[in-house]
Amino acid sequence: MIDCIRAWRNQDSLFLLFVTILISVLLFITYLCIGKYYVLNLSVFDKNSIEHTILFNIRLPRAIETTLFGACMGISGAALQTTLRNPLVSPYILGISSGAAFGAALSIALFGTGFFFLTQPSAILFALIAITLTLSLSGFRGEFSQVSLVLAGMIVSALFSGLLSLIQILVEPEKTQTIVAWIIGRLHTITWRDVHTSFPLAILGIIGLLIFRWRVFVLSMGDEEAKSLGIDVEKERMLIILFASIATASVVSVTGIIGWVCLISPHITRFIFGSDPKILLPASISVGASFMLVADLISRTIWTFEIPVGIITTLVGAPLFLYLMRGVMHEWR
Amino acid sequence: MSGVRVYELSFSYSKQEILKKLSFEVGKGEVLIVLGPNGSGKTTLLKCLNMLLKPEGSIFIDTFDVSKLNGGELAKLMGYVPQMHSPAFPYKVVDVVVSGRTPHLDFSVPSEDDYKFAYKILEKLGLKNLAERPYTQLSGGELRLVLIARALVQQPKVLLLDEPTSHLDLKNKVLVLKVLREIANEGITVIMSEHDPNLAIFADKLLLINSGKIVAFGKTQNVLTKENIAKLYEVNVEIFERNGKCYIFPIF
Repeated sequence: MIDCIRAWRNQDSLFLLFVTILISVLLFITYLCIGKYYVLNLSVFDKNSIEHTILFNIRLPRAIETTLFGACMGISGAALQTTLRNPLVSPYILGISSGAAFGAALSIALFGTGFFFLTQPSAILFALIAITLTLSLSGFRGEFSQVSLVLAGMIVSALFSGLLSLIQILVEPEKTQTIVAWIIGRLHTITWRDVHTSFPLAILGIIGLLIFRWRVFVLSMGDEEAKSLGIDVEKERMLIILFASIATASVVSVTGIIGWVCLISPHITRFIFGSDPKILLPASISVGASFMLVADLISRTIWTFEIPVGIITTLVGAPLFLYLMRGVMHEWR
Repeated sequence: MSGVRVYELSFSYSKQEILKKLSFEVGKGEVLIVLGPNGSGKTTLLKCLNMLLKPEGSIFIDTFDVSKLNGGELAKLMGYVPQMHSPAFPYKVVDVVVSGRTPHLDFSVPSEDDYKFAYKILEKLGLKNLAERPYTQLSGGELRLVLIARALVQQPKVLLLDEPTSHLDLKNKVLVLKVLREIANEGITVIMSEHDPNLAIFADKLLLINSGKIVAFGKTQNVLTKENIAKLYEVNVEIFERNGKCYIFPIF
């Protein structure tokens, strides 16, 4: 298997990227067709048919949100890992996701779900507060210490998780239910409204990161070297973190916390593409999206009832991560 | 005048003065070695020249005032090879080298031509067979040469190197110095720090600093004297001459 992928790597990167995108598209179509109810015939084009309703009102928005979630998590994880020179970093470990979750919960607690348009700005605001805290705690001014960054992220993450639990206890029971359902990750209740809410900011974050795709790589050479290669290190790193936070918060504020995707997608991408800096960010978009589509497809179909997708991503992600780490370990020394 | 001119360069960390009014100049295609004991300010001087630190005083490359350039403009004039590099990810050697094109790219990714240029430089430094290898697997000497290649891909007028021969065996020391001489012969000004006085004969000009002050500056044959070296390192030395070249030994 590993040899097979090594042979792959010697192919032209652009060709590999094309194949990866093609796989995502095929998975997207499969995702739409398969489920408790197979939508495989032509009656989907009949507006009154049940297939039409299932496809366009239930599966399509969910498929789009799932894809968007995977894409945002993949590229944010890849951008943050590379910029901060740390393969263990992800929006979750840096506290961005906990911050976003807290922000969304706070907005639900204060205003209720009726003001859904406030949930997302609140999530993004607290995502940014969380990442700012993490960076300042880890001694942002000098060179990053990889350990202190992860430690600071854990502290901030724990802080916001604690605050989130506090909110759950303090608010009325029906709101608690909404918040809890939301934290577990709720791809099954995704509607077009959710897609409309998260789409613009997710795309903004993704495009922002794609613009920086080469400079992200140069930043991974270390602060002084990046600077001597003409990069405005402090400013550009802040912008990259900002875009990654926007992308993360835009989807987390709608779907809730679904773990592992952001950590593992960049590693899968590096495994396939061998750290090619031109390709890493665009490829992590489609790898992240494919990973999420497969995970959610499993969560929808493997059991008689739906298993929360977060459980699947963890159960698939953890062993896969171990496998990848073993496979590429010798290159990292 | 072309080359690098430095006038009254000073630098302090908070209140501690590290560099005190250094003035010197190096012509186009010349090699300047900055020699001094540990902690004398060699690395700080290189970082000031490269604007990684913000010094007082003025630095000119040809007619450009370095303090008035932005990061991208400066990176087109000056390449920097650090003493230490800790790889974060196992990138391919050619990708690391092509990152030297960054100041010429703005926000795009390198083109075919940029990669061809990187391969050309790698070939020139005898590294072509390493191009596709992960740079985490290189030896110390190879990594140093790869970093020099990256700086050359920037097409700079000036190349700064922080102790390029440190931690290298004799063969690699000589290899790196030969490469640097070739680079200088192509009209690039080379400024490097060094702690081994025996390698100083390689330079066209020497800058001897101690405690941030100039001990001596000038053409190598004029500066490399027993008195200067003894003064610089505060140890007694013996200098032997053979075929017009000096060899320095400490006296115990």
